Amino acid sequence: MPLISTRALTKRYPGGILALDGLSLEIGEGVIGLVGANGAGKSTLLKILLGLIPASEGSATVLDLDTASQGPAIRELVGYMPEHDCLPPDVSATEFVSHMARVSGVPAGAARERTADVLRHVGLYEERYRPIGGYSTGMKQRVKLAQAIVHDPRILFLDEPTNGLDPAGRDEMLALIERIGRDFGMTAIVASHLLGEIERVADWLVAIDAGRLLRTAALSSFTERTGQLLVETEEPGELLAARLADRGMEARADGRHVLIEMASAVEGDHAVYDAVRDDAVALGLTLLRIEHRRHQLEDLFRGGGTDERVA
Amino acid sequence: MSASPETTGTIYDIGYRHYDGPRLGRRGAIGAIVGAGLRAVFGLGRSGRAKILPWGAVILAALPAGVSVAIRVLAGDIVELYGYENYLWGIGALLPIFVAAQGPELVVNDMRHNVLPLYFSRPISRVDYVGARLAALALGLLSLTLAPLLILFGGRVLAAEDVVAAIGDEVGALPAIAGSGVIHAVVLASVGLAISSLAGRRAYAAGAVLAVFLIGGAVSATFGELGGALEALAPFANPLAILDGTREWLFGGAVADSPVTGAGVPLPLYALATLVLLGLSWAVLAVRYRSVTT
Repeated sequence: MPLISTRALTKRYPGGILALDGLSLEIGEGVIGLVGANGAGKSTLLKILLGLIPASEGSATVLDLDTASQGPAIRELVGYMPEHDCLPPDVSATEFVSHMARVSGVPAGAARERTADVLRHVGLYEERYRPIGGYSTGMKQRVKLAQAIVHDPRILFLDEPTNGLDPAGRDEMLALIERIGRDFGMTAIVASHLLGEIERVADWLVAIDAGRLLRTAALSSFTERTGQLLVETEEPGELLAARLADRGMEARADGRHVLIEMASAVEGDHAVYDAVRDDAVALGLTLLRIEHRRHQLEDLFRGGGTDERVA
Repeated sequence: MSASPETTGTIYDIGYRHYDGPRLGRRGAIGAIVGAGLRAVFGLGRSGRAKILPWGAVILAALPAGVSVAIRVLAGDIVELYGYENYLWGIGALLPIFVAAQGPELVVNDMRHNVLPLYFSRPISRVDYVGARLAALALGLLSLTLAPLLILFGGRVLAAEDVVAAIGDEVGALPAIAGSGVIHAVVLASVGLAISSLAGRRAYAAGAVLAVFLIGGAVSATFGELGGALEALAPFANPLAILDGTREWLFGGAVADSPVTGAGVPLPLYALATLVLLGLSWAVLAVRYRSVTT
């Protein structure tokens, strides 16, 4: 049974803007990437699912509850992290998150306990007693995430969670989201226009464009044999690149990085990973990082599907 | 990879714990907002400076009642106790100050810093949110509009020679005490929040609330002095006079220095004016909060 399902969901804003256009989809458990360009209808979809705005046509259910009539019941069991700034500057993270837990219906004592737990999980320690106004963007994003999970929701809606973060902050936020999906057992719907980030944490992708469903599939079917593999070693990468090239792969060294075109591996993804491992061992290299790099969203859907993308 | 084990601290990760306890839903959420609002109204959990104004107002409002009761109880009949009917008019200036200082505290920052979407993504509606904020300010105002009168009531009973008989004599005043206290609190809270919700910053909101009452009071006083037809209009320029008229219509007891006394307007008109004031305030709040995008 899907956690979320929509049927022919349409949202027309006053002024005639069509944000959603007959969107039908079903979403199960896991970390779900909701990808689409800005204005594709991601935020509108999240707000309808939260029961905050009505759909113009069609219907949607979340946890088997109807979004049009059972909004409050849905909102008790989901968490929401909006895209924009939404924190008051003059209260501390502890005070704010525990207040928000109580507004979600958690009793006072439990709210305090869970606030301490959750702030620790998102990585806020001594600073949690200081007013939020003095926090960095990264810390504020953590507070936003904390208030969304403090009541232990079944489903989490994250709207552009890495907005405004520097690369390190993005990595940390993505790691947190991955952990929430894997260890906390919450289903997270992550809306983003950056496919490269989503693919690092999601196990299922829903792509929408102009309010219509473009494609929905397990992430593996999107990513296999596309993009580049980045290998970082402690030593210079020339030797590794040369060995991989001998195997017939397109690999080039860039300082301590080696970039391998996944599409150039005739035998598929696993052959690339195996080759990197074997060659690194043979050369006695210290592997620091292996990262699958994604092209932009547009590339992914060019040609109608990933199978035809193999060069 | 290169970090040596000695320099790396141990991380005790006890893992994520799920919450299986009760969920209090909409009712719990509203209760939490009212409770947090009351703490904000009285500056609890905030700096000492934030407490000065609300508690100063509470103490000043209760001072005349408290002092006269104390003298009466300790020293006997040297002073006359205040009447219930003119007390609220007497402390009238404190009410707008309290509303101007504490009302913006409740609504301005949530609006200005975009916190409302976080509230609205929880099991409450917009009406619940505004209602809870209103309730918090109105309950806070009761410490000025009800508490001093209850002190007075207690004093009258205790100062009497026959306490039991005095309770019998005074208990008839309780509906008037409670009624006028609640009406003052609800109407002033509504007016104050409506004005505050339109302001972008707390200071502007406080200024706007004070201005409405100051200008209203000044216009009312000028009209009263000019006499004639204008004197009949005088009370309607001042929300506090409108409330005093309503109180007089419901519970009786004219206040000598209230413009209501000189105006000679049928008293039910004040009740009508109160309803208009209330309706206007709620309409402003409804329009203001409907326009908040989530």
